Amino acid sequence: MPRITRSQRMYDWFERRLQIEGPIKDAALHQVPRETASWWYVFGSGAFTLFLFQVVTGILLAIIYVPSAGEAWNSLNVLNHQIPLGWYLRALHGWGSNFMVAIVFIHMTQVFLFGAYKFPRELTWIFGVFLLILTLGMAFTGQVLRFDQDAYWGLGIGISMVSRVPVIGGGLVHLLLGGPIMAGTTLARFFDLHVFVIPGLLFGFAGLHIWMVLKLGINEWPMPGRLVRRATYVEEYNRLAHEDGIPFIPGAFWKDLVFSAAMVAAVAVCAWIFGPSGPGGPPDPAIIQTNPKPDFPFLWIFSILAYLPPALETPVILVAPVLAILALFAVPLVAGEGEKSWRRRPVAVLAVAFIAVAWGEFTQLGTTTPWSPHMDAWSSDSIPVRYLRTATPLARQGANVFQEKQCRNCHSIGGLGGQRGPALDSVATRMTRDQLRFKVVTGGGNMPAFGKNLSAPEIEALVAFLSTLHPANEAPAYTPSRPYVTNSPP
Amino acid sequence: MHRRMRDWARLRTRLRTRPWMYIALRLTSPLAFAPLALLCGCNSPGYPPPPAKTPGEITSFATLYAQNCDSCHGSNGQDGPALDLANPEYLALADDATLRKFTAEGVTGTEMPAFATSAGGMLTDAQIDALVTGMRKAWSKPNAFVGAVPPPYAQAKAGDPRHGEQTYQTRCAGCHKNSPDEEITSPVYLALVSDQGLRTVIIAGRPDIGQPDWRHDAPGGKLTTPLSASDVEDVVAYLASLRTPTLPGRVQAQTSAKIPNQRTASKKRSQTLSASAAVRGAK
Repeated sequence: MPRITRSQRMYDWFERRLQIEGPIKDAALHQVPRETASWWYVFGSGAFTLFLFQVVTGILLAIIYVPSAGEAWNSLNVLNHQIPLGWYLRALHGWGSNFMVAIVFIHMTQVFLFGAYKFPRELTWIFGVFLLILTLGMAFTGQVLRFDQDAYWGLGIGISMVSRVPVIGGGLVHLLLGGPIMAGTTLARFFDLHVFVIPGLLFGFAGLHIWMVLKLGINEWPMPGRLVRRATYVEEYNRLAHEDGIPFIPGAFWKDLVFSAAMVAAVAVCAWIFGPSGPGGPPDPAIIQTNPKPDFPFLWIFSILAYLPPALETPVILVAPVLAILALFAVPLVAGEGEKSWRRRPVAVLAVAFIAVAWGEFTQLGTTTPWSPHMDAWSSDSIPVRYLRTATPLARQGANVFQEKQCRNCHSIGGLGGQRGPALDSVATRMTRDQLRFKVVTGGGNMPAFGKNLSAPEIEALVAFLSTLHPANEAPAYTPSRPYVTNSPP
Repeated sequence: MHRRMRDWARLRTRLRTRPWMYIALRLTSPLAFAPLALLCGCNSPGYPPPPAKTPGEITSFATLYAQNCDSCHGSNGQDGPALDLANPEYLALADDATLRKFTAEGVTGTEMPAFATSAGGMLTDAQIDALVTGMRKAWSKPNAFVGAVPPPYAQAKAGDPRHGEQTYQTRCAGCHKNSPDEEITSPVYLALVSDQGLRTVIIAGRPDIGQPDWRHDAPGGKLTTPLSASDVEDVVAYLASLRTPTLPGRVQAQTSAKIPNQRTASKKRSQTLSASAAVRGAK
């Protein structure tokens, strides 16, 4: 008879009451199809690991952070500079958030392309959509809690979008802000959302999501031609899992562990190298020298809003998100059967490619904001010295006019300045002096008319400067007939 | 179920029969604390910058200059389209009150705008003081004139334009002989610069673009008899006399009462400056 140790007895005491060994063993050792133990199937567990990581770092941050409009910004600076490694904790939480959002999107793309949402995993996908919305909700409320200028104006934009909701818009704003304006109680509400409400829902939905994965089995590797049919799928899957299967632990699980560890390590390294995000300038609406931008998950929305014609604003802001979410919910209900392999689902692949390219393009535009004038370019971006080397006294005065009249805020020279209008580095090759003069005076296209804001000498000086802007090896534009009709030079 | 129990047992045996795994873990676990030590010990690249200041709190000369002056006066105070502030002779010629006044209130009739909040700009008085002391600290040199005494900064009396024209021809015209539109005697150019601006450049020069100072104002910029104070006044008076009243310097400088005059003037202006040719050219 084997000797029973004290620890064995203690284990038995607990096990007799908890009766948890069986379910854990079932979960750990359940058979999964051999092909499923793939590096492509690690993103879900990676996202969950990062969520737990966020919970831990978030709990530590909440010890110091003060969720009040008057104190939040200061408490972030205290964390950055007065608490040992406080900055690193903020950096970990911020980078953890970036990684979590990115991995959630990658996970969703992978699940979509591998047809994993099909029968019987429709509800797993639908709960996954809730998890996506909640993750983005965490990212947004987290951005608000980092209460700096970006947060302040980002919240302002979010709230004005909410206020467009018919009938209940005003009430919703009141509920979210704790009053009609962003004030002391606003941050407490967002703290509540970020720390209690959304994480609680995330835990709930993630629990159900994982429960269903365990119960229904991990999606098998999609084989082109192996179609999903409601009548036969479960039987086929079980055969696959048992005839050519391996236990989940360690067969598939070690890859999840390695990937999750790699993600946490990547967060740690990014946090160490790139540091925390902000806080930027104090969240004071009286400071107008600010150029607020949302965090990267929302940059694409920022670009779309910037380019929307006013008439389309309300439909796009209120209707498009609802349609998009409904479409995501509908995916498994509409296409719950049939082909799983992305090799035979060209529409799915094209849809992903289109969304990815559009998202990338809008995000890139959001980082450069070419629609926005650079309001400080007129006084801070110097004129490249090479453009002034041979300038006449009048052209120099023209360069002063160019800066002082804030042409630079919309037109770049030497790569510096606004991008709203065309760059003017070689404008003299495109327009003659007369055309330049006409354009400055009358404006046109996107450009305002400056005729009433400039004196005649200022216009002349400006044109004299602009007509020097051409490459050395390319002659400026001129009017060939001009010497024949007037006595002036071309 | 039986099979699963067997797998579980196999897993446990596997771990138990490989003691090297435990040894390896024991040896490498202190490494987990290495990054922590690194974080405390070194300056990591991610350590955040000091808390952001509000725009009104910035008093660093470098930042203020880069944000407000750089565009026209050039990086490092030279090679810009406007006056080179890094010219030690200019800084020796103009006193602090002058520098402060022009920075705060701008120069009427020229492109130099007012920067003080009291005059509609964005800079506090403390920031303007920081700019003035910063310029002095960065670019002033002791004994900038090497013992010579320049004409005073401010004009003492009205000059004689006729004598000024003679002086201009002998001392300035040797270099300033571009096309009619572009030489400094053009009323278009003169409409955009102040008398004090002309005077300052004649005396202190602009070393960044080769304009000599009052001692070298001669063809070729050679050392010659320095211009006297009255020579400078006369040349400025001559240049000022070339301004035409039909070419006002800046739209803002005029009061609304003058608008009817400006309309009649604009007719003449369009002939002079061939604004109508602009319309033709664009067609």
